[in-house]
Amino acid sequence: MAETLVLIELDRQQVKRPSLHAITLARQLGGAYALLILGHGLDEVAASLISYGASAVIVADDSALAEPLADRYAAVIAEAIRQQGAKTLLGSSSTFSKDILPRVAALLDAPMLTDVLALEKSDGATTYRRPTNAGSMLATVQLEGDRRVLTARATAFEAPAADAAPCAIQQLKFDAGGLPNGMQFISREERVSDRPDLTEARVVVSGGRPLKDSEHFERLVGGLADALGGAVGATRAAVDAGMAPNDYQVGQTGKVVAPELYIAIGISGAIQHLAGIKDSRIIVAINKDPDAPIFEMATYGLVGDLHQIVPQLIESIRKG
Amino acid sequence: MKIVVPFKSVPDPYAGAGEAAKSVINPFDEIAIEEALRIRERGEASEVVGVTIGPAAIDEQIRSALAMGMNRAFRIDDARALDPYAVARILRVFIEKEAPQIVLMGKQAVDDDSNQVGQMLAGLLGWPQATFVSKIELIENNTRVQCARETDGGLEVITVTVPAVVTTDLRLNEPRYVSLPGLMKARKKPIEVLSCEQLGVSVQPMTKTLSTSRPPKRAGGTRVESVEELMVKLKQEAKVL
Amino acid sequence: MDFSWSDQQRELLDAVSRFAKEQLDYDMIEADRNAVFNHEAWKKCGGFGIHGLPVSEEYGGLAQEPITTVAALERLGHACKDNGLLFSINAHMWTAIIPLVYNGTEAQKKKFLPGLCNGSLIGGNAMSEPNSGSDAFSLATIAVKKGAKYILNGSKIFVTNGPIADVLLVFAATDKAKGASGISAFLVEKDAPGLDASHKIEKMGVRTSPMSEVFFTDCEVPEENLLGKEGAGSWLFTRSMTWERGCILAAHVGTMQRLLERCIRYANERKQGGQPIGKFQQIAGKIVDMKMRIESSRHMLYQCAWASGHRKSVYLEAAMTKLQISDSWVKCCEDAIQIHGGYGYMVEYEVERELRDAIGSKLYSGTSEIQRNIIASLLGL
Repeated sequence: MAETLVLIELDRQQVKRPSLHAITLARQLGGAYALLILGHGLDEVAASLISYGASAVIVADDSALAEPLADRYAAVIAEAIRQQGAKTLLGSSSTFSKDILPRVAALLDAPMLTDVLALEKSDGATTYRRPTNAGSMLATVQLEGDRRVLTARATAFEAPAADAAPCAIQQLKFDAGGLPNGMQFISREERVSDRPDLTEARVVVSGGRPLKDSEHFERLVGGLADALGGAVGATRAAVDAGMAPNDYQVGQTGKVVAPELYIAIGISGAIQHLAGIKDSRIIVAINKDPDAPIFEMATYGLVGDLHQIVPQLIESIRKG
Repeated sequence: MKIVVPFKSVPDPYAGAGEAAKSVINPFDEIAIEEALRIRERGEASEVVGVTIGPAAIDEQIRSALAMGMNRAFRIDDARALDPYAVARILRVFIEKEAPQIVLMGKQAVDDDSNQVGQMLAGLLGWPQATFVSKIELIENNTRVQCARETDGGLEVITVTVPAVVTTDLRLNEPRYVSLPGLMKARKKPIEVLSCEQLGVSVQPMTKTLSTSRPPKRAGGTRVESVEELMVKLKQEAKVL
Repeated sequence: MDFSWSDQQRELLDAVSRFAKEQLDYDMIEADRNAVFNHEAWKKCGGFGIHGLPVSEEYGGLAQEPITTVAALERLGHACKDNGLLFSINAHMWTAIIPLVYNGTEAQKKKFLPGLCNGSLIGGNAMSEPNSGSDAFSLATIAVKKGAKYILNGSKIFVTNGPIADVLLVFAATDKAKGASGISAFLVEKDAPGLDASHKIEKMGVRTSPMSEVFFTDCEVPEENLLGKEGAGSWLFTRSMTWERGCILAAHVGTMQRLLERCIRYANERKQGGQPIGKFQQIAGKIVDMKMRIESSRHMLYQCAWASGHRKSVYLEAAMTKLQISDSWVKCCEDAIQIHGGYGYMVEYEVERELRDAIGSKLYSGTSEIQRNIIASLLGL
């Protein structure tokens, strides 16, 4: 029995590493926490989660859960909460958790906070800090009620150490046949790439609209990312213009990243984009416009024509 | 088929510095309104009904929504600071009364950025949900909705049976602008005002905002003059290469 | 006096601002260089409701008072950099729509106004001739009645929208002996036999507004296209010219406002000698002068429009408004160029184009000299 349940996100039966950061939030909250995974064919991945200091790894494994359909997953997660007697449900912010966890919150009659950045405990009360208005404001919030659901912004919490004594793996008992049937999975874009995941990469190279077209985008932004072994990101404008697919989008309504090195190419620095990169350790901005807002945030700014600069940069890196 | 579009009045996210504060329809909800209108214009729905929660000051946004072409609009008169779960609980009662086939709404409000109400509403109603949708198609004689969803891994396609809750993402469409003839016509459409009491719902928000602050501004850095200089700094100063 | 907008006015004006900001902010450098008219933007404005603002709903308009109409145009001008588009829209509204509203028969109004109001029909007028500009009523273009038609012969110059117009309001002499009282107004449709409106005129500014010389060679106009009575042409012209003078530069109060904002931003950002140039009194002084001109122009514009909506004669006020705004606009553009220094002279910075566009305002709808003459005579001189 655990007070807190942490939902770990899987992608093709592999753990999505940023989702582990919610464990750090669980540790900060204190008390026992169990990990929960859902899907099909989960024996191996369950075994990989036993050293995170959880009271148990709870596994909901059934063909009915092969795809993350929100109505089914929410029902199963709610059931796991009830069986554990847990009061808190955690996840890491992602489209997966954002799709499913609010539905669970409603099933549990509980409030929910998205993108928790930090928590503070004083006098027995817990307060949470989260961003609003595209990250231009921070709100300090308190929750009422017996139960709560939180998603943690992965970049705000460290990756948890996996050095605890192994815990048990429990198969969750639930009525697979009684799960809702109103949603049907049809297909998913499977793009195979050698590049690291955008939310996990140490280096991210992003491009904006001045890259002109997908060919230039791939050659310059992709080329630089590959020279650095990094991931590729894009602004909303670049995605809208068809230069990059939607899952490259970084920003308020895309992915929030905090790599060691973020290189922004041809990106002016609209507040909605900056919301997604603020916590990067080093930001490099390359832009033709010396007054572009991104230069106010960049660790290093280089004013000039990206079509000249980026090839030089790629060359320079390859030479070592 | 009836479509209900819940929408929210938010501070204009694109207001320039120094411009007077203005409220607008939440951009994601505007996209939902647009999509609902297109579905009606294709002949697949007969009515688009809007609903929002707030005080009389937001009537201007409601008129904009009517001016875009909604058939009817409701304001649930409640001036309190509500949290997503309170909003979802209030909307649930309204939806059960209006009994639409589709609830279409923005995935998140750009002031609160919670991205919860649609999913909570679906959970309370026990309806299927399709979130972060970038393409919508009604299929099988309007009994199912096929949606492309924008997820972290790329585009995913699902279908949901009607009635369902669908939340919109940015690339679903580009909303029409309010035309002046539309605005004139909207003035003849009434805004129906309901109190929570009349709706028969009484909820308290479970989230309390204790304070707000501005995040520390990230300190600006330095300009470099060349690729060579940048490389030197990245290697020696930042030690990131 | 209550100078505030009503809620309804504010809503309408905000909708105009939003529309213009989102739909009419397009690249102008190439379009200006190549003198290309933006048909798409025209259609959007028509669909949005601009063209028919002051026309009654019966004929497809929005029945807005003059004060709301000019304020809407001001908002349009603030966000839309295409002064040529604005010029074409204004020519269409004041020289084609308004005369029809005042003088058209039911049949004529029903035939033309709905299309003119939603922009699907483009209108213009043809008054000036090679030998009569300021001397407006000495026309050489003649109209002779033959059976159920009028036959027009002659030529017109400086016809705004000439190359693209579906209908032109053409002024011609039906009785030369009577001078000004012998002028009549005709609605000449684009497919009228003997009409040639294709000779484009290249201009210094408002280049995206098409203009042409128009030739009438035994041009046939059906008698039902006579606007007003025979001989009523100059009265009709003068009456609609009052509207025109009061309104045609409304958008450019908005243009000046935009220029002011640009100059303030630039003066705060551009540094010389270690400080923003806005700290130098000579630069600050110019910006203050711009502000003074804008406010005076705006007040004059609004008061003239308000009076016009209250059925007062605004012959004097309209002339003053036109003179004030055109003078102010040109001076603001000159100041803007000075403030931007060398960059103000570069095409890329889009400041020089504003001056080229503004200069025309001292020439059309009656030159500044004509406006001064009108005001002088009304002062009893």
